[in-house]
Amino acid sequence: MSEQIYWDDIEEGQEFSLIEPMDSQRLVIWAAASGDFYQIHYDDNYAKDNKLPDIIVHGALKGMLVGRLLDEWKGEDGSIKNWDVSYRGMDPAREDLTVWAKITKKYQENDENLVDLDVGVAQPDGTQTTPGTATVSLPQR
Amino acid sequence: MAEELDDLTDEMKAAVGVETSRAIYEVTTQGIRTFARSVGYTDTKYYDEKTARNIGYSGLPSPPGFLGMPIYDPNSGSSRREIFTNPFNRRLNGGTEVEPIEQVYGGDVLEAVTRITSLELAKGRLGQMLIQSNETIYTRQSDNAIVAKTRGTGISY
Repeated sequence: MSEQIYWDDIEEGQEFSLIEPMDSQRLVIWAAASGDFYQIHYDDNYAKDNKLPDIIVHGALKGMLVGRLLDEWKGEDGSIKNWDVSYRGMDPAREDLTVWAKITKKYQENDENLVDLDVGVAQPDGTQTTPGTATVSLPQR
Repeated sequence: MAEELDDLTDEMKAAVGVETSRAIYEVTTQGIRTFARSVGYTDTKYYDEKTARNIGYSGLPSPPGFLGMPIYDPNSGSSRREIFTNPFNRRLNGGTEVEPIEQVYGGDVLEAVTRITSLELAKGRLGQMLIQSNETIYTRQSDNAIVAKTRGTGISY
């Protein structure tokens, strides 16, 4: 369980992230979890026959990695209001992906302590393939 | 390549707001554990119901974004209906938005209803594209609570 973070203690501009290895086993487990069995995600020959350099990471998995980052950051007493991602590029498997978030706005609205964030997924060379935004509610001390 | 359209067809315009699919999703405890493992969670509350109950949950909680799996029927086709004739053959998933509303638990059964919320023509590096936005509303059958909404964008070109 992650340590509780409080709205009072965070500042605009703060960043947090996690690094996730994307090996073929991870993609097969995701296929079972999501029901997305399209072979470009786990069958090397199928991927190459479709002119891809390698098997590629599922877009939805990247979106849910962002959800996990926010879920672990907000703690038990926070809540995710929403998050979105756009799929702007493919991520080949067998590389680490960095899942990141940056606080863009801290405000109070309708008796809630809210935080807006930019979020995304980046390849090892820094290429951003999955930009998005999120809003999270945090407890106050 | 499909012939360029000057405007949305009447069939496309009429499709906005129309229900395109209705399906039952089962949120199983094993489904939650598999999802949590695939996304990389190490918090045991997503794997062990006793741990979850000890910190105040009423069952095995579903991580944000996991809304179960539709019941698979090998004898039925897709639950998705083609509402309009799409002249573009290639499809891309443009993006996803998740709005969690209520905590979902293992054992919940959800009804997922999807509607087209907008259709628009655009031009990009792939040529003319049809951008379709959908919203799916997930309602828990046991108490009729809306537990989540998801929105997706599909690009045809």
